[in-house]
Amino acid sequence: MTHETEEFLEKYGKTILIVLPAFNEAKTIENVMEELLEKGMQLIVIDDGSYDETTSIVGKVHKKYPQQVHLYRHPINRGLGAAISTGLEASLSKNPRVIVTFDADGQHHIDDLVPVVKPVIEKKADVVIGTRNFQEMPFRKKFGNNVMNIITRIFYGMGVSDSQSGLRAISPDAANIMELHSRDYGVSSEIIGEIKRKDLTLIEVPIETIYTDYSLSKGTDTKIGLKILARLIKNIFK
Amino acid sequence: MLIYQYIGLLIGIIGIIISILRFRDGKMSLSMVLVWITIWVLLLIFSAYPAATTLLTNITGIGRGLDIILIFGLIGCFYLIFKIYGMIENIEEEITLLTREIALNKKENTEKPDKD
Repeated sequence: MTHETEEFLEKYGKTILIVLPAFNEAKTIENVMEELLEKGMQLIVIDDGSYDETTSIVGKVHKKYPQQVHLYRHPINRGLGAAISTGLEASLSKNPRVIVTFDADGQHHIDDLVPVVKPVIEKKADVVIGTRNFQEMPFRKKFGNNVMNIITRIFYGMGVSDSQSGLRAISPDAANIMELHSRDYGVSSEIIGEIKRKDLTLIEVPIETIYTDYSLSKGTDTKIGLKILARLIKNIFK
Repeated sequence: MLIYQYIGLLIGIIGIIISILRFRDGKMSLSMVLVWITIWVLLLIFSAYPAATTLLTNITGIGRGLDIILIFGLIGCFYLIFKIYGMIENIEEEITLLTREIALNKKENTEKPDKD
């Protein structure tokens, strides 16, 4: 962590509320949570019906930091979109200065929090999206994300460099007026749509992505595309 | 153009508009919106160029008379499936709302240790 990050988090850490949607993230969630909690940030964890050890791990961390961790559990898995909606709704009651959505798979770098959060704290933007570098992205990820960018542009009329990024900062006012209905990964595009519909200011800042075998197995890629195709065929024969 | 062609075009266009609106509202997933748009586009093509169906009739050996029944039957079926799919999506959305509500209400009790 850089000195600048440390200084910034020392000053604003307590007013940053992180929304952490988690579905079967037992391998990484403890480290991700600890790293954020040590910096004094508030965490809203939405356990989206996980059936691995996630629930007990999150419970354990919650006991360690009872004042900083707010735990919500969907009894059944309803998808990323539903988890983010629950997280945003829950966060509004905590009066944060800024709400950040953060992936629980360990792909985000804590140093990237500063550029993402700063414009919202300084009231220069309503929403900031951390844009991943597509050049560094493995091909199957790059392909999936490019397709989703095109789809977002077609259906929501707004072109952004990385519509599927999980790292975003949202001002409480913006979170309050956003109406999200999408249950799955479509929520990322829907947020872009809401930015346009509600005329919110958007800033995109470049972020780093930590690619591990684990984080590569999550998120938007060709595998998700194939899954959609499989579900599509299943639906036809149902 | 014959009347059924106009009807087919009209239904196809309405179908595409409804599909896009439902997707935009987050009520339809990406995979399904693509399936439905493909179906409606095929309907548009067959309505505008019925000659395209002769390829199918040549293969199956079904004459023109039966075609009309088939076409209307299929359109009717598609419409019903579309309706049912919409209903299922609404139910899914309601389940999601319930799940979220349960999570938000239950949170206040998490300070007490959970049963499990």
